[in-house]
Amino acid sequence: MPIEMSSRRSRITDEEINELISKLQSLLPESRRRSMSRASASKLLKETCSYIKSLHREVDDLSDRLSDLMSTMDSNSPQAEIIRSILRS
Amino acid sequence: MAISNAEGDPATGNEGGGERKRKRRADPPVAKWRTEGEQKTYSSKLIEAIRRVRRSSAAAATDHSRSRAVRAAADRALAVAGRGRTRWSRAILSGRKLKLWVRARACRRKPLGSITAASASHTTPKSKPPTLERKARVLGRLVPGCRKLPLLTLLEEASDYIAALEMQVRAMSAIAEILSAAGAATAEPM
Repeated sequence: MPIEMSSRRSRITDEEINELISKLQSLLPESRRRSMSRASASKLLKETCSYIKSLHREVDDLSDRLSDLMSTMDSNSPQAEIIRSILRS
Repeated sequence: MAISNAEGDPATGNEGGGERKRKRRADPPVAKWRTEGEQKTYSSKLIEAIRRVRRSSAAAATDHSRSRAVRAAADRALAVAGRGRTRWSRAILSGRKLKLWVRARACRRKPLGSITAASASHTTPKSKPPTLERKARVLGRLVPGCRKLPLLTLLEEASDYIAALEMQVRAMSAIAEILSAAGAATAEPM
């Protein structure tokens, strides 16, 4: 039974919790879902937050890499033409 | 800001503009983030944005400030790819600085958040166990523009946001691979 109770409000229903849980499970990639098959909504929420944070970190790292590699994107460099042709394909 | 239009893209399986106008879906389909077409469009736009960053950045710009500019460009391009259908994409496009300023003003008054939710019981009548509430708030802070959303709506946004982030990682990784391979390929042999 949930700990807090307000006389005016009703508790979140079991059905809503289940909906929540299946929704949360669908947000996680396969690799992270394996250990979460019987996890609570709370654990799944935590894992979801952790996953988003790791995606943000990846994007930060990739931004570092790309800003270093930026010099190879000069319009008149041979690399730029390679990049353009690959993106066009 | 001109928003790219990938209507009629066979990769997404959508028809032309007709389907978009007729079907007003509540949840934007998440599957589009996984299509090759979407990633290609994003990659082109991102490369252009990064080129602009490079042109506009001063010679004295630090590695860190350049990296942050790339990150900002990548996020903006991602939000544009969202086509304004989600809260998170609109929040990014409306500008982070503006949001921070608005939030700073709001904080000077009484902090709202769950207290407001409690008194406006007709809008959010359910009370959740405190752990769930706390974690939901953490999630709300991670998804742009989604701080005060009820949990189930927040999950819809998070679902789209996560799929978009995954595409962003795939696209940026692929570009980084191409660029470093291009750099290696054209390097002068010693």
